[in-house]
Amino acid sequence: MNINSLLNQEQSLQEIHSHQNGQPQMSSHFDPTSSHDDFLEQMLSSIPSSTSAFTWDVSSVAGRAENQTPPSSLLSQFDDQSALLVSKLRQHQISSGAAKALMLQQQLMLSRGLAGNGLRSPTGASGGESGLLQMPLSLNNGDHADVVDGSFQSANPANDASMQGLFNGFTGSLGQTANQSQHFHHPQAQNFGAAASPAMNQPAVSGSTGGGTPAQPRQRVRARRGQATDPHSIAERLRRERIAERMKALQELVPNANKTDKASMLDEIIDYVKFLQLQVKVLSMSRLGGAAAVAPLVADMSSEGRSSNGTQTASSSNNNDNMTVTEHQVAKLMEEDMGSAMQYLQGKGLCLMPISLATAISTATCHSRNPIATSNNLHTSNNPLISGEAGGPSSPSMSVLTVQSAAFGGNGAGEASVKDATSVSKS
Amino acid sequence: MTMQKFPSNVNSVKSRFTNRFLQALKKMNKNKPASPSIRETYRRYHFIRVASYASMASVIRPRRAWSYATLWKIRNRALMKRSSRARSLTRNPRKDIGFEQVSDLRKLVPGGEEMKICRLLNETIHYIKCLEAQVEIMRNIVDHCST
Repeated sequence: MNINSLLNQEQSLQEIHSHQNGQPQMSSHFDPTSSHDDFLEQMLSSIPSSTSAFTWDVSSVAGRAENQTPPSSLLSQFDDQSALLVSKLRQHQISSGAAKALMLQQQLMLSRGLAGNGLRSPTGASGGESGLLQMPLSLNNGDHADVVDGSFQSANPANDASMQGLFNGFTGSLGQTANQSQHFHHPQAQNFGAAASPAMNQPAVSGSTGGGTPAQPRQRVRARRGQATDPHSIAERLRRERIAERMKALQELVPNANKTDKASMLDEIIDYVKFLQLQVKVLSMSRLGGAAAVAPLVADMSSEGRSSNGTQTASSSNNNDNMTVTEHQVAKLMEEDMGSAMQYLQGKGLCLMPISLATAISTATCHSRNPIATSNNLHTSNNPLISGEAGGPSSPSMSVLTVQSAAFGGNGAGEASVKDATSVSKS
Repeated sequence: MTMQKFPSNVNSVKSRFTNRFLQALKKMNKNKPASPSIRETYRRYHFIRVASYASMASVIRPRRAWSYATLWKIRNRALMKRSSRARSLTRNPRKDIGFEQVSDLRKLVPGGEEMKICRLLNETIHYIKCLEAQVEIMRNIVDHCST
C-alpha cells in the first residue's frame, strides 16, 4: 500500500529531523507569518471530525512550545478517503513526528487533487522540494525509493497542481535540510523536478497570512528570503560558486593576481598561459647547441628535475675549454655560412654582435647584474644580433673574441662574438 | 568534483617528464646531420617543442582533457593538417558566461573547445601547473648544456 510506504518515509524523515539541530531551527528560517505548524494545523483542522484532538496531536507532533490555534478559514473538502488518511495520520502522529504527518498530508492532497486552497506555503523552493523528496530515499539506502517514486510519479501526470501543493508544504518544514544536506541529489532532483517544475514555475506570489485566499487552480509560491524559487537558479547559483572557487585557485597560480575583476583575472590567466607556451617555444629553439651534451645528461637524469634554477656556478676551467672549442667551431662555421654560425651560437645561448656594442654591454653589466637575463625568455631567437640567454650572473670581465674574416671585407668593423656571462672570461 | 592537483607527486611528474624528454632528444640527435640547413634547423626546433609537449602529456596520461587532446593532436597531425581547417570552423563554440576572454582561453588550452566553463577552469589550473614544471625543467637542461 502506498500509504504504508509513505509512512515509512515519514519515519526516515523524522530521523532526519532529529539529526538536525533541533526542531526550532526549522522555523527560524521561515517568515514569521508562516510555519509548517500552521500548515499542518490548517490541514488537520479542516477535518470535520474532532478538530480539538487534532490540535493536541499537532502540538505533540511539533514538539513546540508555541501552539498556534489553527485558523478556521479552511476549506472542508475532504471526503471519506481523506478522513481515512487523516485518521492514519492521527495514529502515526502520536508515535512519530511532523515528518510523517506531512507525508500523509501529501498523500492526502495527492489523492484529493487538492490544490492547496487556503494553504500557505512558507517556502517555494521547488528544487529543494524535489531534492528533499529524494533525500530520504538516499538516506534510507533507497529502500523505499522505488515505492515512493512509483507513488509520486503516478501522481505526477495526474495532478501537477496537487504536486505543487505537496512540494510547497513539504518544503515548509524541510527547506533548510535541502541546503544543508550532503545527500542532495541534484540529478535525481532535476529529473524528478522536471516533471513538476513546469507546473511549479510560477510567479512567486506570496500567499496572504490570513487563510482566506480564494480558490485558484494554481498554487502561489512565496520565495524565501534571499533564495531562488526554481531549480534552475539553484543550479545556477551552485555553478557560479564552483566557478568562483576555480577562479580563486587560479589567482594563486598566476602571478599578478588581480583580485578585483573577473574579466581582468581572465586576461591575466590568458596572458600567463601564452607566456608559458612562448617560453617552451623559445627554450626548444635554444636547445640545439647543447645537443652534444645531452648524452651525458641522459645518464644523469635523476638530478635534472630537481636542480634549482639560477643557482649556476660555472667552473672556469670547464668553460675555458668550451670557449676554445666553441670559438673554433664558430670560426669554421663562419667560413661556410654565416647563418649556420649564428644558429650554432644561438643554440649555445650566445650571439654575434659588433665590438662596439659588446664593449658597451660589458661596461653596462659591470654595474647591473643581468640586463639580459630578465628578458631572455621574451626575445625570440630570430634576432641574431641581440638575443642571447644569460643563464647566470654576469661577470665584470667578459672576453671578446674578435673574428675578422676576409669574407666580410666589405664590412669594415670586425664582428665579435660575445661569450655569455656563464662562461668565465679569459683575459 | 575533485580538483586534481598534484601536490604530492609533482616531483615524480617532473622526473618522469625529464626522462622522456631527454630520451626524445637523444633519439633526435642520433640522426643529426653534420651541417644543418636552416629548414632542418627549424624542423628540429619544432620537433623539440612537440617532443616537450608530448612527453609532458604522456606523463600525465590521457587522464586530463588537455593531455588527451594534446596527444590526440600530435598523433593525428597528418590528418589534422588536411581536415582541421574546415572542421574547426564548423565546430560550435560553447556559450560563454559573458566574457569573450573565455573563448580565447579555449583556444589556448588544448581540448578546451567544447568544455563547460567550470571544467575549462579546472583544466587550465592543471595545465598551468604542468606548463610551469615543463618550462622549469627545460630551462634547467638548457642551463646545463650552455656551460
